[in-house]
Amino acid sequence: MTAPPMLMLRDLAISAAGRAITTGTSLDIARGETIAIVGESGSGKSLTAKAIARLLPPGVSATGRVTYDGIDLLALPEREMQQIRGRRLSLMLQDPFTMLNPLMKSGLHVAEMLRDRPEFRDRAALKAEVARRLTEVGITDPDVAERMPFQLSGGMSQRISLAAALARDPELLIADEPSTALDVTTQAEIIKLLKRVQQSRGMSLVLITHNLRLAFSTCDRIYVLYAGSLLEVGTARAVEADPFHPYTLGLLLSEPPADKRVPKLIAIRGKVPGADEVAGRCVFSDRCDWAMETCRVAAPVLAELAPDRLTACIRRTEIAAEMQALRGSALAASDPPTPPGSAIQPIVRTANLVKNFAGRHGRAVQALKGVSIELRPGESVGLVGESGSGKTTLGRTLVGLETPTSGKIEIGGRDASDFSAMTAVDRAATRRTIQMVFQDPYSTLNPRHSVRRSLSEAIGTIGRFSESEIDSRIAELLREVGLPEHYGTRRPSSLSGGERQRVAIARALSVNPKILVCDEPVSALDVSVQAQILNLFKRLQSELGLSYLFITHDLAVVRQIAERIYVLYLGEIVEHGPAEDVIGRPQHPYTKRLIDSIPR
Amino acid sequence: MSLHVEVARPKGVAPRTAIPAAIVIAFVIVAIVVICAFFGGSIAPDSPFTQRLQVGDVPPSAEFLAGTDLLGRDVLSRVIHGAWTALVGPVVVAAGAFSIATVLGLLSGYLGGAVDSAVMRWVDFMLALPGPLVAIVVVGVVGGGYWTAVTVLVILFTAPDTRIVRSAVLEQRPRPYIDAARALGVSKTRILFIHILPNVLPIILAYVVLDFAFALVNLAGLSFLGLGVEPGTPDWGRMLFENRTILFTNPVALLLPATMVILTAVSMNLIGDWLFARFTRQ
Repeated sequence: MTAPPMLMLRDLAISAAGRAITTGTSLDIARGETIAIVGESGSGKSLTAKAIARLLPPGVSATGRVTYDGIDLLALPEREMQQIRGRRLSLMLQDPFTMLNPLMKSGLHVAEMLRDRPEFRDRAALKAEVARRLTEVGITDPDVAERMPFQLSGGMSQRISLAAALARDPELLIADEPSTALDVTTQAEIIKLLKRVQQSRGMSLVLITHNLRLAFSTCDRIYVLYAGSLLEVGTARAVEADPFHPYTLGLLLSEPPADKRVPKLIAIRGKVPGADEVAGRCVFSDRCDWAMETCRVAAPVLAELAPDRLTACIRRTEIAAEMQALRGSALAASDPPTPPGSAIQPIVRTANLVKNFAGRHGRAVQALKGVSIELRPGESVGLVGESGSGKTTLGRTLVGLETPTSGKIEIGGRDASDFSAMTAVDRAATRRTIQMVFQDPYSTLNPRHSVRRSLSEAIGTIGRFSESEIDSRIAELLREVGLPEHYGTRRPSSLSGGERQRVAIARALSVNPKILVCDEPVSALDVSVQAQILNLFKRLQSELGLSYLFITHDLAVVRQIAERIYVLYLGEIVEHGPAEDVIGRPQHPYTKRLIDSIPR
Repeated sequence: MSLHVEVARPKGVAPRTAIPAAIVIAFVIVAIVVICAFFGGSIAPDSPFTQRLQVGDVPPSAEFLAGTDLLGRDVLSRVIHGAWTALVGPVVVAAGAFSIATVLGLLSGYLGGAVDSAVMRWVDFMLALPGPLVAIVVVGVVGGGYWTAVTVLVILFTAPDTRIVRSAVLEQRPRPYIDAARALGVSKTRILFIHILPNVLPIILAYVVLDFAFALVNLAGLSFLGLGVEPGTPDWGRMLFENRTILFTNPVALLLPATMVILTAVSMNLIGDWLFARFTRQ
């Protein structure tokens, strides 16, 4: 780089109550450049963004230097900093639903930013300008400016907040996970929009994301942040072609590919640590297969290995060949799975399933409009759809958490359309046949019950057992899901997201079910953990002969696990067939759109 | 939808924060009241009933630390013995009201439908009544003194408490751990009392403490109006009524019970707020 960078971070360290959150982050952004800060939860990426804009929450403080065009931002008085925010650099946050003031019309969010300019004193001029700004973010309908935030979809809200962030024409936009909370198809639109706006304005963009592929496809340069330390820096193309740090490689391999099915994902073991837990050594050494004693004696520094390529791995040159080989082996695809023959009787069958919910003004909202699916023993079926497609409702009706308005459900040969109408014996038998794993790992376990108590209650629902029988069964269940036995005494609050999800799976398995309905079981997990859990699902299926109904919005995930796929759109099955066909040769326009929105 | 949750506050940033001084003082005051209520007989320098009509009302002295009332009874001893009615009635009101409210709130919040409508309409009706007035009328008409007043307050307090429990239950109900228990076929009773109750209990406990403070003030008020305890019983509210005429000869006879009512109520309020903040932060 010849020109001095516009924004320069030097040794930016963030800490809260004496505990380090990030340790000495240094990065540069040139004018008009797009960079990505990639990291999992707890990496400190969001706080780094907030530290640049000096918007850290109370109790969190930053040291180091943040220089913007020669101005030291961290030393600036708050009054002058206000002049920088919005005008020079602007921040766009993750959750579109809480970012807008619920009592302000959407257009007002943009107008608010323009109000202090003399040329927009005039009401009509201001209104015209707001309309022009909304057109820039793809909102052409002038009515939208008059709507309240609750009347907007997630994508629309995100467009409004982008327009508001851009209203003062900043030179730098920091977008913190701008698409994560949105539906897949909307995600792709928002990212495309960001990229277009960035290019047409010649603006600099910092994209903060956990999605490495998204970062590769949108950004010029990549900064990989892990447990508060930068592990790798380089141009997107170079990092994608040959990651220098084992963590970057692990992250890349953990992400399930959408274009093929692999026999087993290469997961990073363990869980994401806090920065202070791994201080004084390589932060990744606990989870790294190449870690040696030298990695654990001191914290390595970022070193330039090639022009514009920095890595914090001190063993890079020694292990480069091994890393290449691992990557090569991961590229091997497995044979497409053979769906069980249609001669086998399905274990789950729904016919014309309809579910209505009471909507506003007494009108019924149709969540399911006559859905018919089949699931055969030992088969794993993907149910793909976005929010509002009815996929969760379908899963819940199967396990008896909702009663369908009409239509039939048959599970294991029993009529399970209405759980409350079944005999107690049939109901208990059905519940032993089909169980569910839920999405949110943070509330899937009763926070006041220990792991042992949660599991023993579940075991207790299928009969009376002695203490020692329960103990040995719990030990067996924990072993099956890959947790050490002593985890029985733990409470959910002391477990990580992945561990909680493992316990939830163990709980579902405790009644020896034949079918598991998995509702987005990995979507709330970090990428490196997601791969572990997906591998667990695969292993359990082959060991226990389970059938899965795998509900997800993520085609790449479903490709790894399912043999057949149903695509659900607005309460109707629009396409179904073998996974290879549906993803490889989609027929329905909606399926095509889903596949197009995968970043590559 | 995939929602990537970024934990802004790293876990354990604020581990066990020290208990604020005001809360420590509040606990000490409540402890003193409890000790007086149970061991008043051994602490008090004199019997609360011994009359000394020749002495009459005298200001504090070495013999009578808080002076005497119109009948020559030792004020300090009466205040110490008065801790009993100040403690037991409010405890019964708070515990009774919340026991009923917990059952009603759990059923109403979890079952919904007709049960919920019935319970909530009853709550609306109770909330529409002017509480203190109802208490005055009922105790005045029915008679029966202190325990009638306590019973009336239990019924009056049950309505708002039911609402609190119900809203806490509604918050827990849609959580996946409840769904998981349902999908496993865990019985409704177990879900209500083993799963939901422990999770709403902290909020209930915090409000129980606040109920105590309200009940104390209400009972003292009723006693002041002559609708609480029997005449002659050492009771803080009653003492306010009896000693209002000797404000200028022995002001302590009035101020001491009044201060005790205020201190106890404020202490319980502080403890309740503190518990609530502690529990909800978790």
